[in-house]
Amino acid sequence: MIRFPGVLLLSLLLLLFPSVTGAVLYIDINAPGGKRMPVALPDFVVTGGDASLARDLPGTIAGDLAMTSLFDVIPRPAYLERIVTEHFSGRRLSFPDWKMIGAEAVVIGKVEVQGDQMKLEMHLYDATLGNMMAGRKYTGPVRRFRKMAHKFANEVLYAFTGVRGVFDTEIAFTARPGKGKGKEIYVIGLDGKDLRQLTDNRSFNLFPRWSPDGEWLAYTSYRTGTPQIYMRNLFSGTDRLVVRYGNSKSPGSFSPSGDSLYATLSVGGNSDIYRVSLSGSSVRKVAGGWGIEVSPSVSPDGKSIAFVSDRSGSPQVYVKELDSSDERRVSRAGYYSTSPSWSPAGDRIAFTSLSEGRYAIYTVRPDGSDHHLAISDNGSCIDPSFSPDGRYLVYTLRKSGYSELKIASVDGRWKRRLFKGLRVVGSPSWSPRQ
Amino acid sequence: MKVSGGKWVHGVLSVVLVFAVGCAKKELVKSTDTAPEAGISTPTTPETQPGMQEPIVSETLKPESQPSETQTAMAGIAATQERPSDFPDIHFDYDKSFIREDARPILQDVADYLKSDPSRSILIEGHCDERGTAEYNIALGERRAESTRNYLVSLGVRSGAISTVSFGEEKPMDPGHTEGAWAKNRRAHFVRK
Repeated sequence: MIRFPGVLLLSLLLLLFPSVTGAVLYIDINAPGGKRMPVALPDFVVTGGDASLARDLPGTIAGDLAMTSLFDVIPRPAYLERIVTEHFSGRRLSFPDWKMIGAEAVVIGKVEVQGDQMKLEMHLYDATLGNMMAGRKYTGPVRRFRKMAHKFANEVLYAFTGVRGVFDTEIAFTARPGKGKGKEIYVIGLDGKDLRQLTDNRSFNLFPRWSPDGEWLAYTSYRTGTPQIYMRNLFSGTDRLVVRYGNSKSPGSFSPSGDSLYATLSVGGNSDIYRVSLSGSSVRKVAGGWGIEVSPSVSPDGKSIAFVSDRSGSPQVYVKELDSSDERRVSRAGYYSTSPSWSPAGDRIAFTSLSEGRYAIYTVRPDGSDHHLAISDNGSCIDPSFSPDGRYLVYTLRKSGYSELKIASVDGRWKRRLFKGLRVVGSPSWSPRQ
Repeated sequence: MKVSGGKWVHGVLSVVLVFAVGCAKKELVKSTDTAPEAGISTPTTPETQPGMQEPIVSETLKPESQPSETQTAMAGIAATQERPSDFPDIHFDYDKSFIREDARPILQDVADYLKSDPSRSILIEGHCDERGTAEYNIALGERRAESTRNYLVSLGVRSGAISTVSFGEEKPMDPGHTEGAWAKNRRAHFVRK
C-alpha cells in the first residue's frame, strides 16, 4: 500500500462504528431493470480548503453510482437538511426529512484541508433505519481527492450489493497529441478525469498492458526507430527494455503471477506468441505456425491463452491450453475476429468481429459455446478490455476518421463515452483494482 | 600466429581508440581521458598481458558504436514521418501479403538497383489500411515486408541487403477513409539506406 511514498498515502484509518448493517443485501446487482435505490448526496463540510470540494466530492460519488444503473441521485434543491460538522461528532441526521424527499440512503462527508494534504471522512446511512451502513476516513494529497471519493463509492456499492466496485480503477490507452504524427500513452480515471500522459517521445507508442499489481505498463515503442517492448514503472517513471529477440513486437498480457509476459514477436516475417520471462528474460514460443499469430490474452488461472490466428485464411480467435497442444477456434461470427480479452472470472472471452459489414464486440465461453453479440454501435467497436469485476468493457468506437473510447456494461445495455478531447484514441486497457 | 594476430587486433583497435578520443564530444572526453595511459600505451609494449587490455578497448569503443540519446530520439520521431523513396510503393489486396502482378516491374527496378552495387542496401516498410485492429495490422505489415523481401531475393538480391520494419496501420499514405485511400495505404515502401 505504501509503495507510492510522497505521492499518495491513501491510508484507510479506521472503520467507524463496527456495528454496520452486515450482510443484508439491498440490491441484486444481477437483476438489471429493478427498482433503483434513491440516494441523497448533500454538500460536504469543508474546512480550510477550496470550497468547491463541497460539491466536487459528492458529485464524483454521484457520477460513479450513476454508472451502475442501480441508483438514482435525488436533485440537490429538494434537500431539507444542511450537513454541519456536528453530524460527525454525534448529532443524528434528521432522517424523516430525508425520507420525506424520497431518499432511502444518505451520504455525508467532511473535509479538512491542511496545506496540500486533506482528511476526508464519509458516512453512508440507511435513511429508514437511521443506521450507518459504511464509514471511512481517508488521508492523502488534495489533488487526488477524486481517488478517495471513488474508493468510498466502492464502499457504497458494496454496502448495497455485496459486490466491490471498480470506481477507483483507470484506463490506459493511446492517442495522438496535439503536434506530430506519433502516438503517446495516456492513463485516465474511469470518470474521465485525472488524465495523465505517460510517454512523450513523439514516436509511436502502442498497446499499453497492465501488470496484475498495477505497478507496470508494458507497451510497444518505436522511440529508437524500430518497435521494441518496454515496461514502464508507474511509481518511479522508469522504463526497461523487455526483449531483444525478433523484429516487430507487441505485449499481449502478463501472466497472473506477473513473472512473465505473453507477447507477439515477429521473426522472419512470421508473428508467433511467446512467453517472455521477466526475471531471466528467457523467451519460449507457446503458439505459432505459418500464419499470423497475435494478441495473446491469458486466462485468470494462467493455464490457457486466447489468441488470434489467420491459419484458416482469415483472422479468428483460438484458445490453447498451455500444457497441451490442443488449440480450438472459438470465434464464429464473421470473416474477421481479433483482439480477445479474457474476463477476470475466466468464464468468457470478449473479442472484435466483423459481421454484416460492421465491427462489433462478441463474447463466448472459453469452450466455444454461448457465442453472442454483446456490444454494437453506430460505428466500429474494437479492442475490448474487461473491467476487473467483469461487469464492464472498455472499447474503441471508430467511424470514418473519428474515434472515442466507450465504457459499456457487458450486456451492452448501458454505454458511456469515457472522455473528450484527444484525437486518434485507441487500444484501451483496463487497470486492475488499485 | 596467434600472438601476431593479437598484435594486429591491438594495432587496429588502438587506431580506433585514437580516432574515438579525437572525435569524442566534450562530455565524453572525461571517460576517455584514462584510456590513453592504459589503452594506447599497451600496444607499444607487447609484453603486457593481452587479457588485461580487452575491457579497456570495449569501453572506449562503446560511445562510437551506440547512437546518442538525441540521435535515437530523432530516429523515433523520424519513424512517424513519410521517408523519401526512389521507388514507387507497391500495393496489396485487403488482408493479403502476396506480391501482385502490378508490383513486379517496380520490384525488378529495386532488384536491379541493389544488384548493380553490392554496397547498396534498402529498408522495406510494411503498411496496412486502418481497418481491423492495430495489433493484427502490425503482424500483417510485417508479413507484407517479408513477402516483398522474399520476392527480391528470388530476383537475385542478397538477403543481407534488405532489412524490414512494420508500421501496421500507423502511417497511412492517404489519411482518407474510403476504399481508394485504403488501397493506397496497403503498401510496401522502399527507403534507401
